This record gives sequence, C-alpha cells and structure tokens, in this order.
Amino acid sequence: MVNEYALFAAYVVVLSLYVNLGIALYGIFARPSLVKKLIAITILSDTANAFAILVGYRWPIGKLPKPPVITELPVTRKVLETYTSTAVDPLPQALVLTAVVIGLAVTLFIAFIIIQYYRLYGTVNIHKVRRR
Amino acid sequence: MKKADVFVIASIIVFILSLAYITALGGLGPLPPINVRRIAINYLNLTYNTFTPYLTVFALESVTSIVWDFRGLDTLYETAVFYAAIIASIALYRGVYMDFKKNTEKTGLSPIAKTVTRISLILIPTVSASVALHGHLTPGGGFQAGSIATVVIVLSIIIFSRYFLPIHGLSKNKALLFRSIGLLGIAITSIALLLIAIVLGVNAYIFQNQAKIDAPLSFPSLVDNYILGGSLLFFNLFEFIAVAFGFTIVFLLLSISEEKVKKVTMDG
Repeated sequence: MVNEYALFAAYVVVLSLYVNLGIALYGIFARPSLVKKLIAITILSDTANAFAILVGYRWPIGKLPKPPVITELPVTRKVLETYTSTAVDPLPQALVLTAVVIGLAVTLFIAFIIIQYYRLYGTVNIHKVRRR
Repeated sequence: MKKADVFVIASIIVFILSLAYITALGGLGPLPPINVRRIAINYLNLTYNTFTPYLTVFALESVTSIVWDFRGLDTLYETAVFYAAIIASIALYRGVYMDFKKNTEKTGLSPIAKTVTRISLILIPTVSASVALHGHLTPGGGFQAGSIATVVIVLSIIIFSRYFLPIHGLSKNKALLFRSIGLLGIAITSIALLLIAIVLGVNAYIFQNQAKIDAPLSFPSLVDNYILGGSLLFFNLFEFIAVAFGFTIVFLLLSISEEKVKKVTMDG
C-alpha cells in the first residue's frame, strides 16, 4: 500500500518538475522582461535542485527512508548497517546545499545588474533596451 | 502571439517531452532509485565509523561530512564563486557611500511590528548560531545558518529603517571585515594541520580532518563525550560568519537610497 502511494507521489513530483522546467525555459527564452527572466532562472535552479534530491531519494521498500543523520549512539556495526540501508543519498543534498547558497548570491548579483539596467535605460524590457 | 513565440513554445514542449521520454525509458534508472548508489553507501558508512578510523570523519551528519571533508576542496571553490558574486555586487556600487540619519524612531512600521522584531532580532541569531554549531550533528551548517542570520538584516531594514543598521554600528565596511575574517578562518582551518605537521616534521594534507594512515594528526573529534566532528565545527562556524556578513553587505547596498546611487552611477 505504501508503495502505491509512493509511486503516485513520484509521478506527481516528476510531472510537476517537468512542468516547472517548461515554465522556467519559457520565461528565460520568451519573456522580454529581465525581472521575469530572473524569476524563471530561480525556478529553473530550484527545479534542478529538486530533481537532484529526487535522484538521491530511495523507494520506501520495507523500511521508510530516513535522513542521512546517525541518531543512535554508540555507533555499532548494527547501527551502521541499519543506517546505510535506510538513509537517503547524502551527496545530492550536499550539492544542492551549496548550489542554493551560491544560487542566491548569483541571483542577487543579477538583480543588481537588472537594477543598473533600469537606472541606465529606464526599462527592464530587453527589446526596448536593444533599440536604444 | 508572434511566430517566434510559437516556435519557442513548440521547441520547449518538444524538448520537455524528449527529456520526459528518456526518463520514462529509464535513462536515470527508476526515480527515485530502489537503492542509493554505491558511492552514497560509502559516504554513509564512513561518516562515523570507529572500525575504519583512517577513513572516517567522526561526525554524525553525512551531508556536512561530504561538504567539508570528503569534498572539502570542491566546497572551497564553490564558496569562492559565492564570494566572487558578492565582490562583483560591491564593485557595481563603487563610489556609493551609506549615509547616517539619526532619526529612526519616526521611520519604519508600527510600534507593534518594531517590538515583535526586537524580540526576533535576538531569537534569529540564536537559532542560526545553533544551526551552525550543531551542523556536524544535525541537519544544518554554516551555509544554512548564515542564510537564517541574514533574515535579521532584511527584517531590520524593512521594519525600522535603512539607517537602523549603520546607526547601530553595522556598516558595509564592518560587514566586509567580518566576512573577510570568516573567509580567513576557512583558509586557516583548511591548512591548520598542514602547518602543524610542517613544524612537527610529519606528513599531512590540505583539508585534512582526521588522521590518515600516513598522516597522524587530527582535529579533536570527541571532547568530554561531546562529538565535535573535528574541523567540521570550525568550518561551519567560519562559513556561518562569512555567509551572514556576505549577504549583509548585499542587503545593505540594496537599501541605499536610489537617488543617491543613480547620481553616483550616472554622473560618475
């Protein structure tokens, strides 16, 4: 029963990720507003991050997946065996962790550039900027 | 709708469907996978493993172990990208100086909002410090803690005034100083054992945390039954300082009066 729910949840997550990806790409390529392009870039990066987390998850077969944190002390061989057989993949989480913070810094930098565009041209519409 | 827009939308739909088809065929295996990958099992197994003392991190949190030990050097370069973005933002505001205006009581939101925020200004840094200092034990770490701490800056600018922080002694230059201290702390922690090893005449590595089979030095991992996680505690602490003050600089710059920035950037 758990697996049926998990399968349905996985379908919903994957479908929503692809919808998000489509929206993000549309925003980046088709929208002339630089602010909307920035919003689309953040949607794209969040989608990629969520996809990475999904790739690092594991199916709830037998035991439910757990976060990659050891919660039992002392750490015996049995504790380690249980831990490695239930914890989700920590590597995508580590990658996403740094990606989120760096993404925020880069987003702020792009926001600065967009503000600068607005100061110089009085618009954030890239078509109007190109004509000037 | 223009022809170009139709072409872009059609291209995106084809691209998305192609990706979805590849995924459905099993291009990435079952999503989510039935079992985690072999490398993940190794990381999980070596996070806190007293049976393989020369390979383990001696921390309870696998993500932080990967970020600051297994892939520590990668994280250092990723952090460099973060700082480059901050520096580039500062460069865009060169020549723009923050002004100090003493009268902040009459500015900002209502007294209710200000009172609640004053309480939050104590609670949020406490939570962020806890997240930073427990990063090797529970989910969290320097990156997350720094981001949480930045909420204080944003809140105080919005609720009180853009003059609130400079009046209370937190200027852009001071934030830059603290950010540099954080960065310096990360640099020193990454080569600390190497420097000690040079003095002692033994072998050591950059970003070494625990002793290796040919490098006997270690950061303290257990003090009075409290798990410290070796260098992870220091990295989290310094990253917390660096990220918090890095974002502080950016938000302080964003809060400068638009007329003033425009005057400097347009007139030079």
